Parts: sequence; structure tokens; C-alpha cells
Amino acid sequence: MIEIEGLKKRYSRNFYALKGIDLNIDRRVTTIIGRNGAGKTTLIRILSTQLSPSEGRATIEGYDIMKDTRKVREIISSIPQEAQPIGILSPMEQVKLYLIAKGFSAQQASKAAREALEELDMDNFRNSPSDTLSGGMKRKVFVAMALASNSEVIFLDEPTTGLDPLSRMEVWSAVKRLKSKVILTTHYMEEAQELSDTVCVMDSGKAVSYGTIQELLKSYENMMRAEKMGGTVYDIMVGNIAIKYIGKSDVDKFLQMGYDIKNINLDDLFLSKGVSLES
Amino acid sequence: MTYSFQRVYRLNLKYISYFAWYYGFYIIKRGPSYLIASLSLPLTLLFMVTILSHGALISYALIGGFVSIIASNCINGAADAAFFRLQIKIQDLFVPTRITPDDYMMGLTLSYLVFSLPGIILYAILGIYFKIFTFGSILPIILILIAVTVSVSNIAFIIAGVLKHIRNVWGITAVLSIVMTVLPPTFYPYTFLPKWILYILSISPVTPAAVLLQGVLGLEPIIWDMVYILILETLAFLFLGRKFIRWRE
Repeated sequence: MIEIEGLKKRYSRNFYALKGIDLNIDRRVTTIIGRNGAGKTTLIRILSTQLSPSEGRATIEGYDIMKDTRKVREIISSIPQEAQPIGILSPMEQVKLYLIAKGFSAQQASKAAREALEELDMDNFRNSPSDTLSGGMKRKVFVAMALASNSEVIFLDEPTTGLDPLSRMEVWSAVKRLKSKVILTTHYMEEAQELSDTVCVMDSGKAVSYGTIQELLKSYENMMRAEKMGGTVYDIMVGNIAIKYIGKSDVDKFLQMGYDIKNINLDDLFLSKGVSLES
Repeated sequence: MTYSFQRVYRLNLKYISYFAWYYGFYIIKRGPSYLIASLSLPLTLLFMVTILSHGALISYALIGGFVSIIASNCINGAADAAFFRLQIKIQDLFVPTRITPDDYMMGLTLSYLVFSLPGIILYAILGIYFKIFTFGSILPIILILIAVTVSVSNIAFIIAGVLKHIRNVWGITAVLSIVMTVLPPTFYPYTFLPKWILYILSISPVTPAAVLLQGVLGLEPIIWDMVYILILETLAFLFLGRKFIRWRE
């Protein structure tokens, strides 16, 4: 269980990256979605003890992130956004080094590293220097670290950014097989839909929605999304695209007006809750 | 004192040795050009000093090479430390693990020492060949080189911690590497300098180290003040390096 109360992070006098987050995360996989700058990475960094909050508190499995930092670090793994492997080291060496830092013996680390790399289909590259790997492969090295660590709670900050669809599915499959609690951030709504038990939508440093996908999409029941480039009837305007949420009875009318009609999915939650002029 | 012993006792030696070996040895194995680059300046200066002094200052250039290889490799570590923290987020990766900033810093520092080993061995062979070493000088040389490694690598951590962006780090370390290793009396007798300049140059721990090495090997008289300066600077930079590492921001 992750409990967050009034968590704030101030970077300068007037700029708050987090403006007071209150959340209780008790499901196995929770995805945090939101625009760039919404505060997702700041939240993950605070929870994984890389960054101190300015106000508020959070506990992970009962351990306070500020008071019981050592305990928290023993039970979590966190893969930073934009992390890149050290070029001269091979995936095997990097994963092994990470596991040794997590307290594994050298033998256990080798075994777990090999298995994790195998699971992510990186067996053939496990001894190649990382600077010879593709961008997606480099990202998978970090996913392998998280998998191999077998930590109680795993934070993955945009784990599949830059991966091809097949590699992304391999990561999804690995995440699904994990017994750990996983908190991940993503910009891919299909990923959130595929993996999450619960979803948290962040906007401008606040958690604006939290719940299961069904709960969050409940307000869109029996609705469709109509969208048209340059349309004049809209609920939300994204760039030049007019988006209007309509009842099923209005579908024909909007089709005649030249709108495309789409089924509701997590994109719509993101569009309505995660888009603000400030962010 | 007890606190320091506790910190040493708690060091994660397994992680430190793996990190030092992986990052120190594999650069030599997989990126030999870095090794050649790190040796090129001291070897060039050895050649020039020997030619210009008709061989009279070869002992100084050899001792200078020892210090300069370690110091320049350690100061270049600022680029690594900044790169790991700001660019590729390796530091962030290790923060939520069982290791402490001391383990991380020690691992990186030792990796520079491992990376410097071929140069140290080369200079040791040349020193033995030119008969500049005595049996009694071995321990003081080792201690002085350890002090240089610790102090200069902590200067690197301070630089890496102060920087907010990665873009200037290579320029800064390139300048510092030259200023810290060539300007002090590493490749020439410290007696060539007026004493007040020598003390100003002692801001860099490379200066007291070079002066002491020249004294230990009987090339020049020992200035005992330099022992205290080197010890104080090593402790001060160790303390400051720990402060600036920005482990949990």
C-alpha cells in the first residue's frame, strides 16, 4: 500500500511541480498518466527516495519515505526516465551491478540477470557493449534490472518509450508476470489500458482522477467521441481538432456534419482530465 | 572519529569492487583510445622535459607523470560523475538501492585508479629502469598517490554536483586537468618557483603531492608543511565531495 498525503514539491518561490497530492494506491499495477510537466516524474522520484518533498508525507508498505528511507530502499526498485546504460558495459554487467547494489550475491545476481535478459529476448546481446545496442534495447536493459530485482514495489518511469511494438509487448508481458506492485508512468494510453488495475491522471501538479479504468470511464457511459479538423462544435479543442462527446443518438447527426466517430477509451480521460491550459 | 570508522565499516565492498573493476577495467579493454589519450600528455611532457633539459630533469618528469596520470584521470571523473547524474541518470538508478553515496563515490574513485593502473605500471617500470626509486620510498609514494586519488576525485564530485547542465563539463574538466597537472611543479623542481607561488599553487592537492614526492625520492629537500597541507586538503575535499554529490536532491 502506498499512502500519499498532501505531497508538494516546490522548485522555486512560485513554481510548484506538485501542488498537494493525496492518494492511496493499493492495487497491483497503477499507471500515472498526464501531459509533459504534469508532475509524474517528480512524484515517482519523491516516492522512490531520489527527491525530497517540500511538504506532505508518503509511506510505502508502511515505511515513511523520509524517516525510514533505508527500509524503503530495500523494498523498491526505480527505473528513471531517460536512463541510459553505461556505453562500455554490457547489459549483463549493468544488470548484475544493479543487483549487487540491491544486495544480491554475485552468483544470485548473475543468475537473475541472465533470466531477466532472456525473458526480454536480449539473450543474444547480453554480452555486447551497450553502446552497440539500439535505443529500444538500451531501455530494455533497465526493465531487466527491475524484473530481476524482484522488489516488492517497482517504479517504472516511461519504461516503453522508444520501444518497437513487439518489444513493448515483451515488456508488458514481463510486467504482467511480476508479483511486485508496479507504479508506472506512460504516454501510451493503450499501455495504461493493457496493464493497469488503477489509473491516476495528473495535471499541473495535481492528481485529478484516480480509480479503475471502468470507474474512470463511467461518466462516458453510452457516449462516443466525435472529432473533426476545424470543427466548430466542440467540448475540447486540441490544436485545430474539435472534440465533442455525444450520446449514441447523435451519431448520425455528427456524421452528417463531417465528424469522425470513435469509441471512448483512456485517451478521452486523458483529454478531458489531463489537458489544461496551464500545463 | 567513531563516525568515520562506522562509515568505513559500512562500506559495501562488493559493490565498490564490482563498480571499480567494471568501470575501470572495461574502459581499458573496450575503449583503449581513452587509455592512450590519458597517457599522451604525461608521456609528451616526459619527452619534452628530457630533451630540453638534456636528461637532467628526467627524474622529475617521471615522478610528475605518476601524479599527473592519476590526477588527470580523477579530474576527468567530474565529467563522468556529471554525465551519470544529469544525462544518463545512473546516479538516480543507484539512489534507491542499498548502497550509500560513500559506496558510489568510492566505486567511481577506485575505477579511476584501476583505469590509471597501466600508466602507473609503465611509469613504475621507467622509474625502476632509471633507478629513481628506493625501497624505503615505496610506502610514502603509495600513500601520496592515494591522497591524490581521493582529493582530486572529490574535487571532481564537487564540480559534478555544482553543475546544473552537462554542456560545459568537458570544457571545465579539460581546463582543470591541464591547470592542475601541468602548472604545479609536477614535471619540474619545485625549487624553480618562489615560495609564495608554491603556496598559492598548493590550492591544488597535486602541488603538495608533487613537492612531497620530489622530497621522498631525494631530488629536493622535503617541505614538511606540505604533508599537513595534503592531509588537510584530502580531508576537506572528501567532506565537500560528500556534501556536493546530491544523492537525494
